Amino acid sequence: MNPKKMTYKEAVAEIDEILEKIEQEELDVDELSEKVKRVSLLIRFCKEKLHKTSTEVENILREMEE
Amino acid sequence: MANAQLTLSELNLLIKETLDDTFAGLVWVKAEIGEFTVNRNGHCYLELVDIDPVSNQIIARAKATIWSYTFRMMKPYFETTTGQAFGSGLKILVSVKIEFHPLYGMSLNVRDIDPAYTMGDMALKRREIILRLQQDGVFEMNKELELPAVPQRIAIISSPTAAGLQDFLNQLAHNPTEICFYTRLFPATMQGTQTADSIINALEQIYPYEDLFDVVVIIRGGGAQLDLASFDHYELAYHVAQFPLPVITGIGHDKDETIVDLVAHTKMKTPTAVAEFLISGAETFEGRLLEIEAYCSKLLSERLKKENDWLRQTMVRLKQGVRHFVQKEEHQFSLTALLLKNRVPSFLERQENRFIRHRHRLQMKGRGTIRDQIHFLKKKDSDLQQLVSRFMEIRNDHLGKARQNLKNRLSFQLKEQLAKLSFTEEKIRLVDPLEVLKRGYSLTYKNGKLVRTIQGLNEGDQLVTQLHDGKVESEITGQVTPLLQKQESSGLTGNIG
Repeated sequence: MNPKKMTYKEAVAEIDEILEKIEQEELDVDELSEKVKRVSLLIRFCKEKLHKTSTEVENILREMEE
Repeated sequence: MANAQLTLSELNLLIKETLDDTFAGLVWVKAEIGEFTVNRNGHCYLELVDIDPVSNQIIARAKATIWSYTFRMMKPYFETTTGQAFGSGLKILVSVKIEFHPLYGMSLNVRDIDPAYTMGDMALKRREIILRLQQDGVFEMNKELELPAVPQRIAIISSPTAAGLQDFLNQLAHNPTEICFYTRLFPATMQGTQTADSIINALEQIYPYEDLFDVVVIIRGGGAQLDLASFDHYELAYHVAQFPLPVITGIGHDKDETIVDLVAHTKMKTPTAVAEFLISGAETFEGRLLEIEAYCSKLLSERLKKENDWLRQTMVRLKQGVRHFVQKEEHQFSLTALLLKNRVPSFLERQENRFIRHRHRLQMKGRGTIRDQIHFLKKKDSDLQQLVSRFMEIRNDHLGKARQNLKNRLSFQLKEQLAKLSFTEEKIRLVDPLEVLKRGYSLTYKNGKLVRTIQGLNEGDQLVTQLHDGKVESEITGQVTPLLQKQESSGLTGNIG
């Protein structure tokens, strides 16, 4: 799924799932690098969402009429 | 009757005297505050009412006053004890002096108040409301909602002018970890009798935009710390409890919890505390992200180390294996070399001997064979010559015989052919017609045609008879008589002539 459309909860759930697989050593080294990339992408997305003001959200809230 | 006629002033004076006599001292009265005003001098003017609990109708009404020197003392005492702002809607137990003024009528001058009565009434009301909410099955509903991992989009219900609101917004905007919060204010009156309706109205405005927000906060700060009765409100609590987003309260009272606080998802004491709660929620989430990041890289490096170790071990094992193998091969090789060194000379010697032996044998055998072959060839040659001369003899013999044979056969055949020829000449001579005619036979023709039968011959027919030395012409004079069958031709012949 595209991280931009995910909620924090979904992102964390996916991260947890991947970490569990890594812990259980279910992944071979090739998959491992793929999945670690995905984790870091998801974390980056979450951090950006936390810190970077989304003008989209701001506009929606501003344009909301009473 | 006429004697009983009084002026209004006289009547009012009489009433005042009667009242003063009857209510010489103070009287404890239970009533509800209806209207309530405080003038510039700090004097308090009230309307006390009695409301029928069944019909909700006002069934008694009286004016009351609290002089400023009393009110100054009484108000804080009441409010700190009850946690409730002194104002309309409260049920109070007050000690009053009944006064009657001829011009202004009766009024009750409040001298003392018993907050315990109000508290008891409030507690009773609260218990009733809580019970009702529980019976409705909504009391825990908002608490059962899951607070989002990061409560980032916040719908605020507050008074736009409230000092607490600005603090709250500033605090969110300037949070230390610079987390981005989105806020939107839904204005509401936060004190007085309009509070509950106003907040319900704000909730209804948020409701259609449920998806745009993570939480709703109801905050009120600074100024009026009291007026909790507005939040011990059934309708309001009912709405808050059932709201689809988690509601966080910061109503600004730290003594008692209002019913709205009780049904809200999370209760904070002040707007500041609400802001801290939201910020810490987001920070906790970020902290978790960092932990995950660290954990993930730890897992990764552990795994990589493990893989590296494995590789290294495998390399070592491989090297050892190769070395061992090479050593073994080397050993084998030197062993073989040694063996070879020892064996080669004797082998060469043996081979040389064999070679010499073979050469010798070959020489011997070769010579013998050539001799044999020559002998054999010579024998063959003489055999062939003998065979040829003998064959030639036989052939010559054959040829001589054949020649003799041929000679004999030719002379015999010649004789035979000559005999056959003279015989044939004889035969030919015998059958010659001329010879036949010579022997006495003749040929008779009639009209140039040979006559073979008597038929067709008649008397007088001219005949020509051929003999070997000439022709005779004649005529048939006699009768033509057929012969007996065997003597036909001689008979005919006999008649001619």
